[in-house]
Amino acid sequence: MRLHTRTLSTVAALITGASLLAAPAAAFAAPGEAGHQHGTAAIGEPAKATAKTRTVQITMGDNYYEPNSVQVKAGETVRFVVTNKGEFLHEFNIGTAAMHAAHQKEMAVMMEHGMLTPTGINKEMANMDHSRMPGMEGTSMTHDDPNSVLIEPGKARELTWKFTKNAALEFACNIPGHYESGMVGKVDVQR
Amino acid sequence: MHIAPRGLSRRDALKLAGAAGLAGIVTAYPGRRAFAASAPPLDLAVERTRITIDGETSDAIAIGGSIPAPTLRWREGDEVVVRVTNRLDEPTSIHWHGLLIQGVMDGAPGFNGFQPIMPGQTYTYRFKLRQAGTYWYHSHSAAQEQEGMYGAIVIEPADRDPVRADRDYVVLLSDHTPEAPEAVLRKLKVSEGYYNDNKRTLMDFFRDAGRDGLGATLRDRLDWGEMRMDATDLADVTGYRFLVNGKGPGDNWTALFKPGERVRLRIVNGSAMTIFDVRIPGLPMTVVAADGQNVVPVKVDEFRFGVGETYDVIVMPTGDKPFTFFAEPIDRTGFARATIATRQGMEGVIPERRPRAVLTMADMGMAHGGMDHGSMPGMNHGSMAGMDHGKMPGMNHGSMTGGSAAGREQAVGWADAGTPPGARALSYADLKSFSKTRDLRAPAHEIEVRLTGMMSRYIWTLNGEKFDEGAPIRVAYGDRVRIRFVNTTMMAHPMHLHGMFVELENGQTDRMPKKHVVLVPPGQTASVQLTADEPGEWPFHCHLLYHMASGMMTRFIVEPKTASL
Repeated sequence: MRLHTRTLSTVAALITGASLLAAPAAAFAAPGEAGHQHGTAAIGEPAKATAKTRTVQITMGDNYYEPNSVQVKAGETVRFVVTNKGEFLHEFNIGTAAMHAAHQKEMAVMMEHGMLTPTGINKEMANMDHSRMPGMEGTSMTHDDPNSVLIEPGKARELTWKFTKNAALEFACNIPGHYESGMVGKVDVQR
Repeated sequence: MHIAPRGLSRRDALKLAGAAGLAGIVTAYPGRRAFAASAPPLDLAVERTRITIDGETSDAIAIGGSIPAPTLRWREGDEVVVRVTNRLDEPTSIHWHGLLIQGVMDGAPGFNGFQPIMPGQTYTYRFKLRQAGTYWYHSHSAAQEQEGMYGAIVIEPADRDPVRADRDYVVLLSDHTPEAPEAVLRKLKVSEGYYNDNKRTLMDFFRDAGRDGLGATLRDRLDWGEMRMDATDLADVTGYRFLVNGKGPGDNWTALFKPGERVRLRIVNGSAMTIFDVRIPGLPMTVVAADGQNVVPVKVDEFRFGVGETYDVIVMPTGDKPFTFFAEPIDRTGFARATIATRQGMEGVIPERRPRAVLTMADMGMAHGGMDHGSMPGMNHGSMAGMDHGKMPGMNHGSMTGGSAAGREQAVGWADAGTPPGARALSYADLKSFSKTRDLRAPAHEIEVRLTGMMSRYIWTLNGEKFDEGAPIRVAYGDRVRIRFVNTTMMAHPMHLHGMFVELENGQTDRMPKKHVVLVPPGQTASVQLTADEPGEWPFHCHLLYHMASGMMTRFIVEPKTASL
């Protein structure tokens, strides 16, 4: 039951109100990320909103995205503006199917521990020092999760991403059961 | 062929229907484009037929020419017209299980002015679909349901479906006996234990004594004796074959997928008497709807499945290999099996069978707590304590303690499905309605419904009274009421209310799940709330067919409020 740092940090970012975009890019390369199975290098990299070549609006509902596919070019930097119009907490996470599968396990643990609820984030729980929790030693809340945003009902958030390679990517919500229900979209990366 | 995977065109659907000899019976495919404003009239004949299960043929009754009956694929908001022609030599009826519907169209003879459809007659049902989801339809006459009169209903939502799947299959479970249902009921009445060939033996007795102590074991046995019940009575009727979409385990009904696809299984328990434990080893199921109503998705490895209930699940099989859909009746007298595979003809491993649970006093709700067996003549438990069980032949206490759930030979208590460690079984507490509870008023009053029975005479009752011998339940239109089920028996009863959903009091406050069947475990209580917003005189009964037939039913009357109120 090892929680990946980046999931926790997503929550942390939300709680402190720190916009993902505002987070210094250096944080993404923090030590400790190196050991991660699912480094983001293979799928692209985060970028500043000002570097965008275009903006894509995505609406979240329960439990779906609209639109549910996006075409990008390798090397393109896209600013996603994602609005949650549903009643439940949703995630917008760019990764491969395997990355999402791994992330779903973490999300399930967070849900079980009460850090996340179907409709939001339990701020008290999420503010706790999880680094001392059994099985979570060594994690800290100082990293950020560059390829994901959690969005509470009624809120909108942004994520700017540079698609570097031709990879099979999906944007997905890894809140338990949402991916299975079809809350996933295809990122068609073209040369 | 009543399954219509997504991607099937309307023309294909019609071709299939034609090929199956169902011309004129519209198995409309759920794709948006396929739907006209309203579905064309549908003709369903009810007639005697023969069914072949794993190579053995026996008598049955079909609706629309097949068992199960054709899946009716409709769309929310549609007005549907169904003409049912009775080609039997006895009265019949069709009830639309779970549908919100005008009383007379509900199809239960003797309620809401609905008359049975007599031989040779055609009855025209006409109703507007006010909901979406997976439901089913079946006879509400005699025991015709047992003989094959059941089929699934799939209603596409008018709005966007919160669940997206690449494939969509109905998985309808049922139990079939070659015996005539009347003969089954007659035997049950003559001797309740007729079908229970798992009666406990002397060796069981020694084993329990080794585990629980002889005194406790004797006390336990005495209680069972007084109830004139057997502790292995999980189900009344055995000798069943368990079917998936009308196919036996050997026939191996198969659902196809391509690796990585989302497959929606609309699982319906259309059995007459069988409560199942359902699992697909190696494939977690994400439950997305219960009794047709969307729930917040919850991932499980297995679920217990009451008669009349439905669950929609999403599975995401990967790899070019078969998975076994496995449903064991809780009395473990067999299994239903199907295969989820990448091509026809594949077979997965048949999983190890689960142990059969032995009921305990807890399954009787400790209702007999006040009984003092110590005062019984001839009983002196104290004097037995000194016995040296260790010297009993064949007793090896060491091997009896604990043991892992997997591969253990005994499960204790009704709720013990033999779920292995680490696996997750769905519980009612996991169900959370996808939409918010609309009526948050506190219940105006509480209705207690005791589930009662005299098993030795095979009389099953509600509040101690047989159907139409007791007073009906009356509630005022618009009222919010609580129903509290108190199960005083040692069997589980799937309680079904027609006409309205009940909302489970399962710990949720503003997302209470809606159900049309509530499985009440033996010796337990369960409570639900409902808003009485459907006027009429609704059947309210145990969905175990022979329990209903022997009297476990009442009228639930929603009365219009009078001017004086």
